[in-house]
Formats: sequence, C-alpha cells, structure tokens
Amino acid sequence: MDATMTSSVKARFAGTDKNRKKLSGTARGYLILIGLVVISWLIFKLITPDNFGSPANMLQYFQASLIAATGAIGFYFVMVMGMFDFSIGANIMLSAIVGCVLATKYNMGYAGLVIGCIVTGALVGLLNGSFYVKLRIPSMIVTTGLALIYESIANYMAGGIEQTLPADMRMFGTMPGDIILAIAAFLVAYLILNYTKIGTYTYAIGSDEYVAKNMGIKVNKYKVLAFVISGAFFGIMAILTISYGSSMVAVTGMSSMSRNFVPTMGCFFGIAFKKYGMPLPAIIIGEFVINIIFFGFIALGAPTAIQDVITGLALLIIITLTTKANKGEIVK
Amino acid sequence: MSDDIRLEVKHLCKSFGITKAVNDVSFNVRKGTIHALIGENGSGKSTLTNMLTGIYSIDSGEFILDGKKIHPKNQVEANNEGVSIIVQELGTLSGLTVAENIFLGHEDMFVKAGIKNTAAMNRKATELLKKYGFDNIKANKMVDEYNFEDRKLVEIIKATYFHPKVVVIDETTTALSQEGREELYKHMYRIREEGGSVIFISHDLQEVLEMSDDITILRDGQYIDTIRACDVVEEQLKTLMVGREVTGAYYRNDYGDKISDEVVLSVKDVTVPGELKNINFELHKGEILGFGGLSESGMHEIGKAVFGASYDREGEVRLEDGTTINDIPTAIKHSIAYTSKDRDNESVVMNMSIRDNICLPSLNMLGNKLHLQSDRRNKKFANKFAKDISVKMVNTDQFVSQLSGGNKQKVVLARWIGKDSDIVVLDSPTRGIDIKVKQDIYQLMDQMRKNGKSIIMISEELMELIGMCDRIIIMKDGKISGQINRSEEVNEHSLIEMMV
Repeated sequence: MDATMTSSVKARFAGTDKNRKKLSGTARGYLILIGLVVISWLIFKLITPDNFGSPANMLQYFQASLIAATGAIGFYFVMVMGMFDFSIGANIMLSAIVGCVLATKYNMGYAGLVIGCIVTGALVGLLNGSFYVKLRIPSMIVTTGLALIYESIANYMAGGIEQTLPADMRMFGTMPGDIILAIAAFLVAYLILNYTKIGTYTYAIGSDEYVAKNMGIKVNKYKVLAFVISGAFFGIMAILTISYGSSMVAVTGMSSMSRNFVPTMGCFFGIAFKKYGMPLPAIIIGEFVINIIFFGFIALGAPTAIQDVITGLALLIIITLTTKANKGEIVK
Repeated sequence: MSDDIRLEVKHLCKSFGITKAVNDVSFNVRKGTIHALIGENGSGKSTLTNMLTGIYSIDSGEFILDGKKIHPKNQVEANNEGVSIIVQELGTLSGLTVAENIFLGHEDMFVKAGIKNTAAMNRKATELLKKYGFDNIKANKMVDEYNFEDRKLVEIIKATYFHPKVVVIDETTTALSQEGREELYKHMYRIREEGGSVIFISHDLQEVLEMSDDITILRDGQYIDTIRACDVVEEQLKTLMVGREVTGAYYRNDYGDKISDEVVLSVKDVTVPGELKNINFELHKGEILGFGGLSESGMHEIGKAVFGASYDREGEVRLEDGTTINDIPTAIKHSIAYTSKDRDNESVVMNMSIRDNICLPSLNMLGNKLHLQSDRRNKKFANKFAKDISVKMVNTDQFVSQLSGGNKQKVVLARWIGKDSDIVVLDSPTRGIDIKVKQDIYQLMDQMRKNGKSIIMISEELMELIGMCDRIIIMKDGKISGQINRSEEVNEHSLIEMMV
C-alpha cells in the first residue's frame, strides 16, 4: 500500500476557485442575453431609426418570438438527450390543419383547435419516438422519413386547400391570448424539467445513456416521452401559428422543413445556456433576439437571401461568443 | 465480525461470446466483514460484481443474500435488494446536481402527485453531506463543478446512505489520492462495524491484506480459494493469483549507475495557470525520471505539459535537437508518447477495436507510399504488440469497451510500445494492473531504459517510484519541492517529508 501520510482532507474540501467562479452563473447568463437584446436592438435602431424598435414594435417582435419559443422549449427535451427532429415543420403543419378542421368543419370551436393541435402534435411525437426506438436508426433519419408522411397526411386532410381559421377564432393570435397560452406552456415545461423525474432523467440520459440505464432508468421510455412532450409543444406552437397567421397551407416535398429553423435556433440557445442553469429563459430570450434581427432586416428592406445569410451568421457568432467551451471540453 | 453468511455466490457463470468470463464460481461472504476479491486482469472480478449489481445479466448460477435469491436487473433493483457499488471510473452523471446524482433512480422518495420536491431532496442531500463530513460539496450544485475526487465522495454517499447489506468497491482506490483512500477506508470500516459486508476489489495486495478479513482469489474466471487475510502473506497471494510463483526481480535492482549526460528534453520555466508554477527540469538519455506528490500537487499536469497537451502553458519544453513542443502532433512527430491517468476518457477510444487503438498513432508509419492503410499490416502490427504485453482478448477486432480496466491499460501501453517512442511519459502506468503485468511493465521499462529510451514516470505509488526511477522529483502545490537520486537508502518517509 502507499505510504500513509497525514492527510488534510478538510483543506482539500475547502472549495475550489472553479466553484466560487460559478456562483453567479445564472446572473451572468441573463446579463449576456439581455446584452444581446440591447445590442441587436441598438444596431438596427441606429441604421433605421424611424421604422424599427419602438416600444410597440418591440412588443410585436416579442409576441412573434413567443410562437417559436413554445415549440423550442418542448424540442429542448429531445435535443438535450442527444436526439434530433427533422419533422418539426410537418408536425406544426399537420397539427394546425387538424386543429383547424376540428374547429371549423366539425364545429368544435376552441376546444377542437386546442385539443386537435396538441393531441396531434403529441401523436406525431409518439410516432417519432416509437419508430426511433423500435427501428434503432438515428433520429434524424427517422424523423426525415416520417416528415414526408406527415406532410402527405396534412395535404390529404386539407384536400389541397388552404385551411383558414375564422376571425372569431383567433384569440391566440393576439394579446393577451397568445401571451397567456405561451406563459402556460413555459410554466408546464419548467415544471416538467425541474420538478418531475422526467427532467432529471432527461439530463441523465443526455449525460450518459449507459449509466442512466444501469440506474434503472427506462431509457427508451423516456426517449419516447421526450418526443411526445416535444410534439405536444409543437402542437401549441401550431395553435399560435395558425391563430397569428390565420391560415395554413399543407405543402409537400419536404417544404415544411423551412419551419424547422426558428424553433431549432431557439433550442440552440437553450443548449448553449444550459451551463448557466437557465435553458428555458435562454430559449425565450434567444427567440426574441432572433426576431429582433429578423424584423430589423425587414425594416431595412433587405432581400430574403441577404436576410438568411446574415441571420445564419448572426446565430453562429452569437452562440460562439456566448458559449465559449471550457478548456478541454469536447464539443460535438 | 461474525461467521453468519451474508451473501452466497453459487455456481455463477457468464460468457461474452466464446470467452468464459466467470466459470462456475461459488463462495460465501460473511456478515460484518471486508471481503477482498483478487485476481489478475480479466480474472472475472468485475464481471462477477457487475452481475451482483445488475449491470450484467447472469447466464447461470445465483446470488443468495440473507437466504433470499436475488436477481437484480439494474443498479436500482440491486440497491432495493441491499446491494450497491462504487466503480473504478466516474460513476456520477454530468448535467445533474449533486443531490440528483445521490438519489438518481430513487426520486420517488421526494415525488408527490408526480411533482418532485427539489427543496426536500436538496435538504436531505445536504444532511447526508454534513453527516459524512463532506461539507464543501453543495447539494444543489451541478456535479460537473467538482473534481474527480469530490465526485467519488458523492458516489460514496450514493452507495452507502441507505445502509446496504453489501457494498462493492471495485478498484476504486487506485483512482484516488491517499487522502481519498483514507476517506474511503473510513467508510469501509464503518460499514463493517454496522454489520454490512464490503466486497473489495484491489490489485494492491498490501492494501488487501491490511483492509480485508477474507480474501477470495479468482483466476481466468474460475474460483481458486477463499482464505482468511490473517493466515496469508503477500507472496502466497501472488502465487495463488498467477498460478505459479512470481519469481525474479520486481523492481530494478541496479544502484549507482551513472545517468548519461545527454539531455534529451529540457523543461524551462513552465507554468500552467492553476496547475504548475515555474517548473524546470531536464530528462537524460536512458533515464527514468519519476514524479511523485499528492494527487493535486500538479504532478499529473507535468505529463500533459511535456506532451503539449496543457492549456495556456507558458515556458518552454525543448528537445535535444532544438524542437520546441507546444502541441500534441509535434510531440508525437518527435517521438514523444504519453499515457494519461484518466484512461477511459483520455487514453483509449472506447468504441474502437483493439487494433485501431493500437495503430492510431502509428498510421503514418503503417501506410504505404500512397498513405493507404492495409488491414493485414495493421492487424499484424496490433497483434504483435497486444500479444507482447499479454492483452487478454478474443482477437484485436474486439472493442476496447469490452475489456477489463487492466487490459485497457495494456492496450494503451501496447500502442506506444508499437510507436517505438524515444521519450515516454507514463502517468500512473500500473493503475488497475495486476501483479503479473505490473512486473512485466517494470521489466519493459527497464529494458527501454537500457535501450536508451527516456521515461517520465508519474505515480502516486511511492514504492514503484523508489524501485524504478533514477531520480524522483516531488511536487507540492504546483511547484517542485524536492529531488532525490536513486539509492538504496531512499525510503517512503524521505519522500513524504517533501510531499506534505
């Protein structure tokens, strides 16, 4: 055995610099995010002072950002576990069409819209998760294949016609309906993530699936559950989307994938700010930043291609600058 | 201590493909005892305890705990049956708090109507941390914020807070510093005093003899014997483990040889923020230079600094030909090899085969003129070095993740022996290695030294530093606190004085 030596375990336990440094992690995270809001607002306000960034405008941007944020907070459960979903757009489209059809053709009103969207979203999530677990192929491939099927179902249900939500059923497209629904969704996500076993297991599986399995966690069950939660939140996003935009067209040929981008970007913020202990607020504020940039370009009258290039670059720059990996940390 | 049986292991069998990892093993563990399980790497120790704790399924045979047959399917079921385990490598999950790690799989204690009472969980975890004397660890902090040793302390709580009947400690001590070991010993004694049983796996035979009441020996997956620790001496244990007498010199037995004046590597004013301060030393041709100290003295960073793997390193690491080493590719290109203490995370690529792991740094050498790799050539290369160092394997196509801890270490060594590096940095090279292979490694190091290779050996095992090194540098608080040349008069106490 090694030589015995007078140890000073307590001295070693006195804490490390690292521990002390991280004390204000959450506050630092908020500061960075609020700083991003201010900087992005300031840039466009300086360039185009007249038609951008008034308090009323900012409220409008915020309302628009809530739509994608509701989907992104659900998607966070999937991404933290290391999986991905390419059927986001198809899910939103199908859920919105089912909700709209139930609300209008079946005269179910708001109940049809809300239940139809959320249940359809959750079912899509259930299918995604079940196929992923049973087929044992990467989630990206499974969800890409299924997205084609969801698009076709949506197109079939809509009969190739644009589905329009009547004006008297668009409570969730304006204040305060949209804000109330979004806040309710955020609270539910916060509760699940922080106050249920699901949240703990989500992080455990994301950290080390093998160890999680050995701890008795039914890994596959919780993976499917993550897809179901994610799907349900995309259902809520579908309610907000069709209520805000008043109609939905059932596109095919993977065209729905264009809807994947914004919620996925918000989710990146959540993943990046996880280490500050504030993933969900990061998603909400992150989506707000994305919308400020987006509306800023509209105010500038920039062509779509330029908007996309600069938005993409802005995302890369923001995430790189705000989430500098620790020395030696492996980034995948 | 009593003669009552706590755990009966009956005709246990487990195979992986054609390898019989555990073959009809039967023995008993008494109540209130520390029961050591020893054997060479790949003898079946970890496989057996992994079956007991539900990590592996049982092919045939049974475990009977306090007269009741148990067959856990995972660690939580094992915990519920009264069995827990502390593993060799990290057993806590990043991304979860300390409290969540302690109660992972047992959250139901804090869940009402589906809602987890996080505050109550944190309170309970804080109570436990206080009770165990680990006050510096905060229940609500992310476990990622703590170092390896502190995370091991969290595992001790996780494995013992519910007063299990049997606690398995699987080669944990080799990963710990002396302070960490003492802390673990304290809890092993406590478990024994409370009437629990500890199954203790260790390659350190002196430690086994000091800590254990009973010792069971396994060899090649088969049961050899169970003996009382007080009835046996170290040499007998070695013979039982290996199946023949371990003869010949264990360490080097030469003294007074002059070290070559030729300096192959010089380290000047090397500083790594938070780790090393103004380190200066020279490594000579054919020299084994040892680095010792407490675990967090900075000695493990020395290896990384020399290999160009340290972050924000200042100062200079220069080779004989004037080349400065600032990054890993330059180090490998100039014939420097490095094996890390953190084997699973920093040395082996778990999801690659033994062949790929061994060939990895030698691919340039193994490629043909067009830099194309040949399967046959690579296989031959890997086979040669894996066999030279006796890796227990089906063949070199086997995944490294399927090997025992000691055999993984052998793969790492085989890789660098194959590379034929001139300067070899070995951080804790015999960690988790059995007695026979330890002897092989020491002989190999001695042979390399005689062949003009230079070795930096970093180790927490003072005896191996004394036995193998031409010079020993002792580190304390990131600085060099002393140096001792090879001599028969050097003993552990002379080193300890410089360490603390």
